[in-house]
Amino acid sequence: MFRHTPLRIATLVLLGAAAILYGLNAEYFGLEILTEIAILAILVIALDMVAGFGGMVSLFHGALMGIGAYGFTLLATKAGVAPLPAMIGAMALGGVVGWIVGAICARTHGIYFIMATLAFGQMAYSYIFESSFFGGDDGLSGAPRLDLSGLGIDLNDSRGFAFFALALLLAAYLAAVAILRSGLGRSVTGILHSEQRMRALGLNVWRVKAAIFGLSGVLAGLAGTLAAQHIMYVSPGLLAWTVSGEALVVVILGGLGTLVGPVVGAAFFVLLKHEVSAHTTHWHLVVGVILIAVVMSRANGIFGWLEARVARWQGRTHAAKTGNLALEGDSDA
Amino acid sequence: MTSDPGFWILQGLNALQLSMLLFLLSVGLTVIFGLMHFVNLAHGALYALGAYVAASVAAAVGYWPALIAAPLAVALVGVVLYGGLIKRMRKAGPMSQVLVTFGLIFAMLDLTRIIWGDFALGIDVPQILSGRAAFLGIEYPIYRLFIIALGGLAFVALTLVLSRTQIGAMIRAGVDNDEMAACLGINVEKLFFIVFCVGCGLAGLAGAIAAPLLSVTPDMGLQILIPTLIVIVIGGLGSLQGAIAGSLIYGFVQTFGAVLAPQLASVLIYALLAAVLVIKPAGLFPAKG
Repeated sequence: MFRHTPLRIATLVLLGAAAILYGLNAEYFGLEILTEIAILAILVIALDMVAGFGGMVSLFHGALMGIGAYGFTLLATKAGVAPLPAMIGAMALGGVVGWIVGAICARTHGIYFIMATLAFGQMAYSYIFESSFFGGDDGLSGAPRLDLSGLGIDLNDSRGFAFFALALLLAAYLAAVAILRSGLGRSVTGILHSEQRMRALGLNVWRVKAAIFGLSGVLAGLAGTLAAQHIMYVSPGLLAWTVSGEALVVVILGGLGTLVGPVVGAAFFVLLKHEVSAHTTHWHLVVGVILIAVVMSRANGIFGWLEARVARWQGRTHAAKTGNLALEGDSDA
Repeated sequence: MTSDPGFWILQGLNALQLSMLLFLLSVGLTVIFGLMHFVNLAHGALYALGAYVAASVAAAVGYWPALIAAPLAVALVGVVLYGGLIKRMRKAGPMSQVLVTFGLIFAMLDLTRIIWGDFALGIDVPQILSGRAAFLGIEYPIYRLFIIALGGLAFVALTLVLSRTQIGAMIRAGVDNDEMAACLGINVEKLFFIVFCVGCGLAGLAGAIAAPLLSVTPDMGLQILIPTLIVIVIGGLGSLQGAIAGSLIYGFVQTFGAVLAPQLASVLIYALLAAVLVIKPAGLFPAKG
């Protein structure tokens, strides 16, 4: 089960303070980066919920985000729904699709689960890519931003939108914590440790897996609605399997199954991407080498490494294990 | 159109050609998985590397040396990868392995861009393989027939090696139960190494023969990866029959889907994969019963 250690709370406070300070002082380009980080962070929180706490390594989350983005854009432009209900509708759509895919894939394990989610992701990608209803490879433009002028916030201003994205990131994080602490979240972690044992205890395993996948889909859908509002344009590229792969990389870089770690990873990843891209076009080489190094070091990402160091420093080695699952704990056993 | 027998023969050959290309790629990947339980996502990147080496060698000394140099060069890269990364990741979980090879995809994508640039390269087919052959009332490019023949030859050769030779028996024993095979005195580590390098070499060969058909670009490895994974998952990880069955299913569904139901074609194969995973999660011909 997820626990808030002092280190996790300190990291969150530090991240929040840094984001607010940066958001108040940054220029246009900095605000765009901040928004990008917030959107990616919501997506990787959703992914960590299923991959880190449920052992379901999904390559479907890029598609879930894309479904949220397309759902929002279609509802708001073609169906003429107001932006707020359109956001809620798109998140619900992400949840329903996530539940269905989770329910179908729940029978498979390990590498087969990864392949099954990959297949569904590619199915969604190809369908949207070829369908004229979804604009094909041209995508759809004209996604409106939410109107919060009643609260005195202008979302068409990049500063206003960055803080809006940050607020939703906080909400998504708190929702994920609440879900993981609920009975459902505990059952999911129980399944991760031993599916057989949970089944013997009378738990309906596939239903739990489908439920957590669906809830994760709601959050991924939220990230999608934000992405659509941010660039005001959606393209099939949002659903490509490399988006899911990149999200997985961010989760691993940050620290699988720590919830805080992936947020750190998202900030690190986006900042690094912009820094490296400014100097060289070979950004993929850098991220590839970093990924190999992180996985081979056997540390659980940046944040997992930090937690292990702090735990050792405190002389309480068992503390690292309570809320923190090593990479190896994720096998298809 | 569909009442013309020539149409069916032509599309059948197209499907067979795609199948054979995929077979060369998937057989290495699937036997590596069956033996080592290792999913090498960088297999597609090795295929792209093979295509690049072939393009360079072909430009310098001609097509036939390129066809030999590409598999050898990629097998050599396989040796380096095995010593540097794969050996150390053997005991790690599947998740770590997937991620390391995912990192390799990224790294190799940019390395090929650094070495060969961003431009698409092409290869000229030698005189004897260029042009078209006329038979059964149709005309068909000779080079594509060559691919079909090469793929068929590889299938027959691998079947004979696996079923009739001592090393084939050792590999089958290793796929079945590697610990027991080790207890019986088989050097399983050495077997892994050989299979891994041969698998890499086959990926390089696939790249070299695909290069004249498709243009050689840095992302060709990424494009072929998903079809290859679909093939081995439909066929069942670890088995030769699975690789050939999966390749044929993919080739025919994709080719005939594209001409008979273009709107559905791309979704069709993924739907098929999803159906296989739900009904027979271990694939159609799993290596272990």
